[in-house]
Parts: sequence; structure tokens; C-alpha cells
Amino acid sequence: MRAKRKLGGWGFVGPGLLWTIAFFAVPLLIMAAYSLFQRIGGRIVTDLSLSNYLAFFTKPHHLNALINSLEVTLITTIISIILAYPLAYILAFRVPPRWQRIALMMAILPFWTSYVVRSYSWLLVLSSNGVISNIVQWLGVVDSPISLANSRAAIVLGFVHFFTMLLTLTIFANLVQISPNYKKAAADLGASRLQTFWRITLPLSIPGVMVGAFLTIVLALGDYITPQILGGFREVLLPQAIMLQIQRQANFPMASAMSLVLMVVISIIFLLFSRWLKIERM
Amino acid sequence: MITIKSKSVVKAVLLFVVITFGFLTVSGSVQAARKELNVLTWCDHTDPALLRSFEQKHKVRINMKEYDGTGVALALLEQSQPGDWDVFVVDSIDVARVVKLGLLEPLKEADFPFGDIFPQIRTPELHNIQGKLYAMPEKFGYNTIAYNNKKVDPADMRDAAVLWNPKYKGRMAVYDYYIPVIEMVAIGLGIKPTQLNKSHLPAIKEKLFAMKKMSKLVGDVVQVQTALATGEVDIIAGGGEFSVSVLHKENPALDWVLPNQGGVRWQQAIGVFAASTQKDLAVKFVQYILSPEGQGKLATSSCYWAMPANSKAVLTPEQKKILRWDEQPKFLSNSYFYLQPDEAFDKAMLDVWTQFLQHK
Amino acid sequence: MVKQYLVSMWKNAPAVFYVLLVYVFIFLPVAVLVLFSFQDALLPIPPFQGPSLRWYEAIFTDFRIMDALGNSLMVAVVSAALSCFLGFLAAYGLARYTIRGSGVVQWLLVAPLSVSYLIIGMGLLITFKTMAIPKSLLAVIIGHVVINLPLAFAIIYSQMGEHQANIERAARDLGAAEWQVLVLITLPLLWPALLASFFLSFTLSWDEFIIALLVSRFDVTLPVEIWSLLRSGLNPKTNAVGSVVFIVSIVLVFVMEIVVFGRRKSK
Repeated sequence: MRAKRKLGGWGFVGPGLLWTIAFFAVPLLIMAAYSLFQRIGGRIVTDLSLSNYLAFFTKPHHLNALINSLEVTLITTIISIILAYPLAYILAFRVPPRWQRIALMMAILPFWTSYVVRSYSWLLVLSSNGVISNIVQWLGVVDSPISLANSRAAIVLGFVHFFTMLLTLTIFANLVQISPNYKKAAADLGASRLQTFWRITLPLSIPGVMVGAFLTIVLALGDYITPQILGGFREVLLPQAIMLQIQRQANFPMASAMSLVLMVVISIIFLLFSRWLKIERM
Repeated sequence: MITIKSKSVVKAVLLFVVITFGFLTVSGSVQAARKELNVLTWCDHTDPALLRSFEQKHKVRINMKEYDGTGVALALLEQSQPGDWDVFVVDSIDVARVVKLGLLEPLKEADFPFGDIFPQIRTPELHNIQGKLYAMPEKFGYNTIAYNNKKVDPADMRDAAVLWNPKYKGRMAVYDYYIPVIEMVAIGLGIKPTQLNKSHLPAIKEKLFAMKKMSKLVGDVVQVQTALATGEVDIIAGGGEFSVSVLHKENPALDWVLPNQGGVRWQQAIGVFAASTQKDLAVKFVQYILSPEGQGKLATSSCYWAMPANSKAVLTPEQKKILRWDEQPKFLSNSYFYLQPDEAFDKAMLDVWTQFLQHK
Repeated sequence: MVKQYLVSMWKNAPAVFYVLLVYVFIFLPVAVLVLFSFQDALLPIPPFQGPSLRWYEAIFTDFRIMDALGNSLMVAVVSAALSCFLGFLAAYGLARYTIRGSGVVQWLLVAPLSVSYLIIGMGLLITFKTMAIPKSLLAVIIGHVVINLPLAFAIIYSQMGEHQANIERAARDLGAAEWQVLVLITLPLLWPALLASFFLSFTLSWDEFIIALLVSRFDVTLPVEIWSLLRSGLNPKTNAVGSVVFIVSIVLVFVMEIVVFGRRKSK
């Protein structure tokens, strides 16, 4: 039975809504307007045109930034899911309940290191005189220093580290919600453990994977720090290209246009994932 | 169902926005009321060891914002309010451009130890505009080739064309500053930097793209330093004393050289913003930086070491040796200054550089 | 007994091995970070020399870093409190009142979740620039509320069940005023959700970089200060700051674990 009251609701919703409108929606609209301006000779020219967007999609060095971003994000998401799923599964079903919370906490502890510092630590770990290079030389795997930093692989590794933790969390949360009765029923009906996994557990855990994957994609696509610190400018990702426009050229119109492209891309991904992303009330 | 007139909602939104933004403006100006000196600078001035004695003596807090290239500084200034900044550390070569924008305040020559500045560094043609002094030279060095002498053949480094020598593929870092590196490429191609013009850009772009394919990374001062120190790379294109001297104690094998064809010389100057509200204090800070004490600490600051402009800078013999104090006359005569492009050429170079950065 | 134990070990060995492997991967950068914060040399890379506390001394005597730490705490507390307050009000309004176009309202409230921080930061930067509003810590707080309000709203809204509405209605029927219902009934019932959203907002604000970089002036937050530190010389100082941040965050996580989840268990 629902007995919602009719008067006064706006008084409660109003402040939060106004905040979002004033500091989120309005700035986006201003950005949209800016993206139609141009920066010519150190000044902003307010004649409306689509030339920024045209430049973005016709100049390969701009468009490549978007393509690089999408590729890196896709690779990151896939590897992170492959790493995180077994971990979440083991934590949810194989670890004794007594140890479960602490094991999960351990799995996401490095989450709480500063995000800027985390990329920097990876740089130190991966560089030629770094820890990994020293270990593999000491083990005799290679006889000269190896360098993994400053490459696309390093960017992906930095991302995978963070998003494995995130995905473990979302997948774990989903797995423990699956009623054990389903598995019991499947076993009673003679399903093998593998069959139970493929037919019952995996399909039921897809929402957790999808929520985590969506977060991964959105955060990775918009991240500036990780590629900036670990990528060594071997290639430029979209957020770096946007920051180049802001920091080097103060070209806000171009940066706005590129940001809106990024936003549209994320919106499309949101639509693709939207069936898994519902806020439900208990 | 409650109905609220849309007009009153609009009013409420407007009121709310006006109040918050008003509060923001007020709080911003309250913050400015504290005694602070705001300095826009290359990263070398941010060393606490350099600032401490001035801060204590004048009971002031120095805020530093570091940038890496005049274009970045100008972009940052565009995002600030007039009066935000007091002191500007800027490449000597860009002083005229900055003065043209009305950003700098003229200085009195008598306030500074002009007689102690190395004669070659005084360069009034750069710092004096229409007879007025706008900035004091403070530090200089070279954008050439820095390397690890245990890992490369030092003889190779004497040729500027080493920048695209396939022998060093995957072992080179490129310093991310378009003017000196483009100039280095020009030198390697046999073009005199003083004659460099737009017609040379296609050839330079081709070499830059070749360098991008060869290089391990492109990065700012600290990134290229880090890469050389951690063994990521063995050569820094556009590097110099500023990328190796600070690491000398950790790794004496890091070295730098001017190629036989010559190298590029950079020079920083320091001035006071025309819109500064505390010019007296700003001038005192400039005087401190140019004093023998300030010059010694600036030359050996934690971000990068380089030669001080003041010949009386307080430095130990060992520090002088690392800075190659005695070899300077030879270096000075074999190096070209940063070129001074007009706006169109500058934009063309910046475009080439952006393409270089985004090239795969 | 022993045999059974060995068999279960054998069966679990691959799982244990896998978990350990992933843990090593996850902890590698943190371990290296902390280890080399004790490095007694200029470069935070092998060989390890030390241990030495000189870099900790360097950061605790650097008032810029300490100020940034204070600023970060302030921004995180204020923006998290504000996010929870606004989020709670909005959730209460939407859950308990009929609002025309509530679908659109709800969508608008959570919309910032699907937009990158970079874009939100840039939007604010351009807006402030257009309106000639100076950059400041307050601007950072505003930005952080924009990103955290949707989360606080979503968490609190998801916990506002029907049974709570019934208790509220009962209180009202017994003559409680509207504010009494809110303060005495709704808030205590939602306490865990409020705490969870506060801590989550706090953590996200505490570690947020790009918005803070774009809209702050000279008073900066810790992540921005760390970024400048990184850009003004390679040394283990960055490791030391990073380790301190890590320790502070861990303490916070355990506090939250005890406060939020400990409560739930005790019920």
C-alpha cells in the first residue's frame, strides 16, 4: 500500500535538484555553446560553427586519440573481468565465511592509496631499474634490464590493477546474493558442478559483471592521470588530448567539443548497459 | 498533486545561483587578503630550501604554480583573474611577447646587481623594450643531448643527427618543449636556427615523426630525468645539464654534451606582474632570487640544476664542477638562443608539435 | 583426519594459489611505495638503502604539504556532509511525496554519475571563467558535491523502504510534527545508509584529482599537491606522502567497518 503525500515534495527535492542544475546541467550547456565557438589568434570568436567537431573527426591525430582510448578501455575491461571473476568466485564460495570479510577487505585495500601515487608506484615498479626488472634478472629469466613502463601495456596494467579491485567488489556483491537454493536444486537434478556454474551461477552473476564493467569503462575513458604518468606520450588518449588543448593552447572551444564527444561516447555505452543499471528501492 | 508555478521555480534557481556565486566571489577575495606572494614559474623555484629564508624574513607565504612552457603559462594566466599573480619567471626569449600583452611591470636597473651578471647573459635586446627593463636574467643552460655514458658511445653524441640514429631505437626520451627540440632537429638537418622558417617545417616534421617512432617516451623535465635515472632510456633529446646535474651524486655516468654543430641555449628571466597588488614585495623577491645566496640555491634547486646568471652566486667548488662553471665560455659560443617566432610561425610549430605528440 | 585435511588442501590448492597470485599483483605497487619511502638516497628505486625517516621528516616539515592535507580533509568533510544532506532530502522527497515528473527528477539527480570527472571539472572551469568567478577551494567543494550527491542520493533512496514509511505514518498519526518524524524516526532508521554515503563521498572527494586541479587556485588539495611534487623532482618524498595517505585511508576504512557494519551485526 502506498500512501504518498502530495504537498511539499519540492521543498525536499529542490535543493539537491537546484545544485545539480546549477553546477552540472548549466555548465554542460555553457560547454556545448563554447564548443561551437573558435579560438583564433589568442581570442575566442563567438561565431557559431561546427568547425571544432569537423576538425576532430577529419584530423587523424585527433580522431586517433578517441580510437586509442576505446582500444585501451576495451582491453582493460576484458582483462580485469578475467582476473576479477575467479577471485570474486573463490572469495564468495570457497573461503570460509569467517575469513570472507577480511579476505575481501585485503583484496581491495590498495584501493585506498592515493590515485596519483598509485600510477607513480607502477612507474617505479615497471622501469628498467625497477623492482620487476631486478627480480627477473635475479631469477635469471633475462640477463639485461627489461622495461615495461612508458607503453600502452603499462597504461593497461595500471588500469587493470585498479579495476580488478573494483570488479572483484561488484561481482562478489552479486555472487553472495545468489540464493544457494538454486545451486542445490541444480545439484539435486543431477547437474555437474560445471553445469551448475554455466547454467545457474554465471547467468545470475551477469548484473554484477555489467555494473563493474560499466564503471570500469566510464572511469577508464575519462582518466587523465594513468596514461599521463605511465604512457610516456607514446600515444595520446582522449583525456590527454583534451588537457593538451586546455593547458597548452587555452583552446576551450576545442576542449569543449572533444569533451562533448567523450560524453556522447559514454552516453552510448550507458544506453548499451542501461538494463543492468537500475536504482531499485528495497 | 501540488502545482508550483514555473515562474517561482525559475526565481528560486536564479536566487540560489546568485547567492552561491556571490559567496564564491567574496570568499575568493577574502583568501586574497592573506599575506601571500604568488609566483608563476618553472619547477625549479618550487624548492622549499630556496624559499624558506625569504618566507621567514618577510613573514610571507609564497605560493608557486609550476608550468612547463610559456604557452602553458599564458593559458594558465588566461584562466586567472587580474591581480592573482605577483612574480613571473619566464624564458628571456618570451619577455617581449609577454610585455606586448601588458603583463609585466618595468623594473629599475639600480635595484639589481647588474654588474655581477655574466655579460653574455645580460641580453638587453631581450629584456629591455622601448628602453625599459622588464625582467632580470636569472638562470641559463642548454637543450642539447643528455646521456648515460656507460650505455651509449659518447662519440655518437657529438653529432646532432644522433636524434634519429636507428642505433638508439627505443632508448631515447624526448623533452616535451617544442621550440628547443624543433631547433635541435633543425641543427641536425644542417639548418642554422637563426635562419629557420616555415618552409623548413615539413622536413622537420618528418624527422620528428621518425624520432617519435624511435623514442621510448616524451615528457616534461622530471619525466625525462626519471626515465634516464631509472634506466628507461639512455639519451634525452633536448636534455642538458638541467636533466642530469641534479642526479650527479646518484649516478655520475649521466652526462651531457653540445654536438659539434652546436646546441640550443635557454635562459630564464624573472619579472613582476603589472597587475600585482604588492609590487614592493614582489621586487624584494626578485632581488632575493638575484642575490648571491638566492642564485646559489636556485642553481642547485631540487627540480633541476643549471648555471646562475650572477657570477657571484654562492656555490661550493664541487657544485661549480658539476655545473661546468669553467667551460661556459666555450659552450656559450657554440650555442644558439631560442628562436623568437612570430605568432603565425609559433602556431605552425605548435601544430607540428601537437601532431608529433599524437603521432603513433 | 589428516588425510581429509590433505585432500581438501589438494583440492583447494589451485584456488589458494590463484588468490595469492592476484594478491601479489594487487599489493606489489603499495609494497614498493612504502618500502622506498624509507629509502636513504635520492632515487626511490632499487637498490634499497636505509631504512631512513628523512623523507617523512621532509614532508612533515613542509607546510605546503601539511596545508594541502588540511585542505583535503576540509573539502572532503564539507562536501561529503553537504552531499549526504542534499541527497537525503531529495531521497525523502522522492520516496514520500508525489512529484510531477519524478522520473525526470531522479534521472537528473543521478546523471552526473555517468559523466567523467574531467568533463564536470571542465564545465565548472569554463562556467567560472565566463562569470569571472575566481578559482578557490569552495569551487572544489562545489564540484565534489556534484559528483557525490548522486551517489549519496542513490544509496539513501535505495534504503527507504515501505516499512519505514509505515513507521513514519504511525508517528504522524500519533501527533508527531513533520520535523519530529524526520529527526526521530527517519534519520535513525537510515543511519547506516547515511554513514555509508558519507564515508564513500568522503573517500572519493579525498582522492579526487582532476576537478581539484582545474578549479583550485593556490590553496590546493593533497592530490594536486602530490602532482606538483611529482613534477618538481624525482625523490622518495612522494613515496612518503603516498604512504601517509594510505595509512590514513586504511584507518578510515576500519573505522567505517566498525561503525557501519559493526552496528549492523550487533542488531
